[in-house]
Amino acid sequence: MDEKPAQAILTMPSSADREAIFSRVRGALAPLHERAPMPDYTTELAVLRQMMGNRDAFTIFSERLVRVNGIALTEIAALVARLREGKWLQGYCDPVLWPMLAPHFGADFTVETTYDRKRVDDYAFGITRAAGAIAETGTIILSDATTSRRLGALTPWVHVAVVERAKIYSDLPQAVAALGSDSNVIWVTGPSKTADVEGILIEGVHGPGVQIALVV
Amino acid sequence: MLNTERKPITGKRVQLMATCLCDAFYDDVAAATVQILEYLGVEVVFPEGQTCCGQPAFNGGDWVASRKVVRHTVKTFAGDEPVVVPSGSCAAMMFHGAVLEFEKENDLGEVEALGRRTWELGDFIFNGLGVKTWPGRFEATVALHRACHTRGTKSSPAATALLSSIEGVKIVEFGEGEQCCGFGGTFSVTFPNISAGMGALKLEHIRAVKPDVLVSGDMSCMMHLGGMAQQEGKPIKTMHVAQVLRDALKNAGLIKP
Amino acid sequence: MRFQQIDQFSAELKADTRAAVYDGSKKGHEKRTKLLYDEFPDPDRLRHIAGEVKQHVVENLDTYLPQVEAKLKANGVIVHWAATAEAANEAVLGIMRARGATKMVKAKTMVSEETELAHFLEKHGMEALETDLGEFIVQIDHDHPSHIVKPIIHKNRREIATSFEKNGLGAYNDDPQTITRRARNFLRHKYLEADVGLTGANFVSAESGRIVLVTNEGNSRFCLAATKCHIAMIGIEKIVPRDYDLGLFLNLLARSGTAQDLTVYTEFISGPKSPAQPDGPEEMHVIFVDNGRTEVLASECRDILRCIRCGACLNVCPVYRQASGHAYRSVYPGPVGAVLSPLLMKEKFPQKADLPKASSLCGACNEVCPVNIPIPDLLLRLRNRAKEENVPSPGTPPMGAWALLASQPTAWRASLFGGKVMNYLPTKLLPIPALRAWEAKRALPAWRGGEFRAWMKNRPKQS
Repeated sequence: MDEKPAQAILTMPSSADREAIFSRVRGALAPLHERAPMPDYTTELAVLRQMMGNRDAFTIFSERLVRVNGIALTEIAALVARLREGKWLQGYCDPVLWPMLAPHFGADFTVETTYDRKRVDDYAFGITRAAGAIAETGTIILSDATTSRRLGALTPWVHVAVVERAKIYSDLPQAVAALGSDSNVIWVTGPSKTADVEGILIEGVHGPGVQIALVV
Repeated sequence: MLNTERKPITGKRVQLMATCLCDAFYDDVAAATVQILEYLGVEVVFPEGQTCCGQPAFNGGDWVASRKVVRHTVKTFAGDEPVVVPSGSCAAMMFHGAVLEFEKENDLGEVEALGRRTWELGDFIFNGLGVKTWPGRFEATVALHRACHTRGTKSSPAATALLSSIEGVKIVEFGEGEQCCGFGGTFSVTFPNISAGMGALKLEHIRAVKPDVLVSGDMSCMMHLGGMAQQEGKPIKTMHVAQVLRDALKNAGLIKP
Repeated sequence: MRFQQIDQFSAELKADTRAAVYDGSKKGHEKRTKLLYDEFPDPDRLRHIAGEVKQHVVENLDTYLPQVEAKLKANGVIVHWAATAEAANEAVLGIMRARGATKMVKAKTMVSEETELAHFLEKHGMEALETDLGEFIVQIDHDHPSHIVKPIIHKNRREIATSFEKNGLGAYNDDPQTITRRARNFLRHKYLEADVGLTGANFVSAESGRIVLVTNEGNSRFCLAATKCHIAMIGIEKIVPRDYDLGLFLNLLARSGTAQDLTVYTEFISGPKSPAQPDGPEEMHVIFVDNGRTEVLASECRDILRCIRCGACLNVCPVYRQASGHAYRSVYPGPVGAVLSPLLMKEKFPQKADLPKASSLCGACNEVCPVNIPIPDLLLRLRNRAKEENVPSPGTPPMGAWALLASQPTAWRASLFGGKVMNYLPTKLLPIPALRAWEAKRALPAWRGGEFRAWMKNRPKQS
């Protein structure tokens, strides 16, 4: 609803700059006798074929996820045990997933299927659906269409992404090809981290400190 | 951009570009170069008019001055024979640097032509002449400093292969081998603190592996590192690859002492 | 004696700062090399191809810019063009005012460092909070980043703990984990209160208009999950032709920059959030920024526009390791900065003309560059430009007389013999600055000018 006034005010002054930039670009390139051609190449060159070998996507995914300090689980019971073990008893869950998960969660858990941004610190875990995963890098893929809340997957200390085994792409180029038409896709590779302070790795900076993939 | 394509070797006569450093300080390196080439049956011609490759001014940013010197060099090294240089840096100046500063000059072609027949010594022996092993004997633990201007060329692998094939030579690798020694031509006097800081690190890594001798294909790096070590009162022995090759022959009586 | 500014800076640098910079960059470089060479049969090939792709983009910006603009508009993005830093900042301010916004959370973007956006907005009464941990620390410390990927590589934990204490972020505690948690707890509420999230872009696909953002901390994602308006400030050179090319560039960027297979968060944004998604921006602006880039494009150093800001050249650079990033007096330090910073100065080039000289031309930067930029060649071109523009260069020996000598063989030979006098003189006292600078750090070998020539001429004929 704010879009119209913003556009009305702002596209006007920048049109002179647009022309100035375009004309300078043309002027800068005019003296070139020839332009560098686009190389013909295949991104296959960038795929870690040797590492993956003939192994199945799930095996590779789990191995690579561990490499980035993520956790791959296949049993809901194991997930519940992990959460209990970490004393992460309150959380958010995508309403679509909850009916499948609820029978496994005990009465010691408080799970909400709505996310209230005012209570950001109350959610110790967030369970959302992934759009897929990438084996090569141990990455989970979230998209606006499949992930119920961007915040729900980001603000809790523990993020659990529910990944369908059939949607594990082999490598980066494959996952790029599958980006689709969603206006927002995010690849998440392990827990949020930084090494800004003296190069020391610290996990859980702004996003989750624990990243779990529940492969179903 | 690195122009490392070479005209194949035909005759057995070469022109020697001795380098200004050998001309002024390291005469034995130039002599060793002549001796090993002659041992390989190569006739060595020394064009008397030679001075410098032009690199100091090129690196210093004074391309007008540098081109003047390069033009003199092109004239001095006229002909078809390979030009052999006991320096990766001067060789790179001929096949890369000079070409860069002559991009817009009418005589670019002549400069490029000289570049195509200029060889760094080790590269010439190993790849030009196809000599893959070196006879003789040289008992020493050798730290081989790979000079920066041989990055991306065949010179360092050539020197490594030739040296390690000599009976008695043991090459020891040292830490951060890819790092520059800090010489950098005029850089060494315009940035003396940084240059010396880099040199100190390099010396620390080299000393840690306790070599008998520090060897390089470029005397400029040796002048800087050796000079620093001497200033510190802890001198290290430095040699050019050519001197090691020559001494190996001498030690085995393959050439006259 | 007067030396170059960067050398003086290095000489005065605190020992622990130098140690921190050295350790951080050395580790970064070594991990990168291991990762690339352990995993790929021919990583050099990847670098070369990526370089060709970006060079193609740079030399075809006249085609790609209108193409990407059309795509972005079709994706529902409002596109702005800013010729200068001022115009870029004004555009951001305009967007905020039009929305009645007062609070911005910022992800790390180098172009906003160029334009000094945060200062500008603060001057106009807006809150503009850096959210990348390093950038946040720089902001509360009123410092400057010293590395393009690791902004506080020059700081130790004790300095950080002190500034946290000073800024009311808890009692002194220099444990990196505690520092990070405190920033987490403070910043998460700031994101949720903010009106606008500002990011840069690592890549923009001309084919789809998709903007790619990579971070490790998740701060840019938080900006885009919590706020209703997204502004992306993007240098005009950030384009890749196709989505397909991302499969190459994403593989190179994280490995080169932080020695990871992939950064933790890699976000692909092609417009405002989907209607079904409750979180995220309903409005999205892209501001394409020139700020000197078209001048770089017109120069013979246009190859530098390939740069994908990974920082690998800083990490490997021996001069950067000795001098640290602040020595470069620019947003972009290290080898890439030594080329880019003077060029971005436009007519004020002489002020930064010393930067390209701060290199031994060792070429390590070119060797690690994921887009294979021939940095040493560009440094040399800029040195030549400085000479042509008669920019003074302290400590640089004059070359004119030398060139004269070196093009006259007779004079050259005479000076070779004449130079022997050096062996008998107290050279340390000679009023030759270059000689004194040499001898301050190193012994000079004995002068043996002409000895080789004599040997060559007089030796017995070889059989």
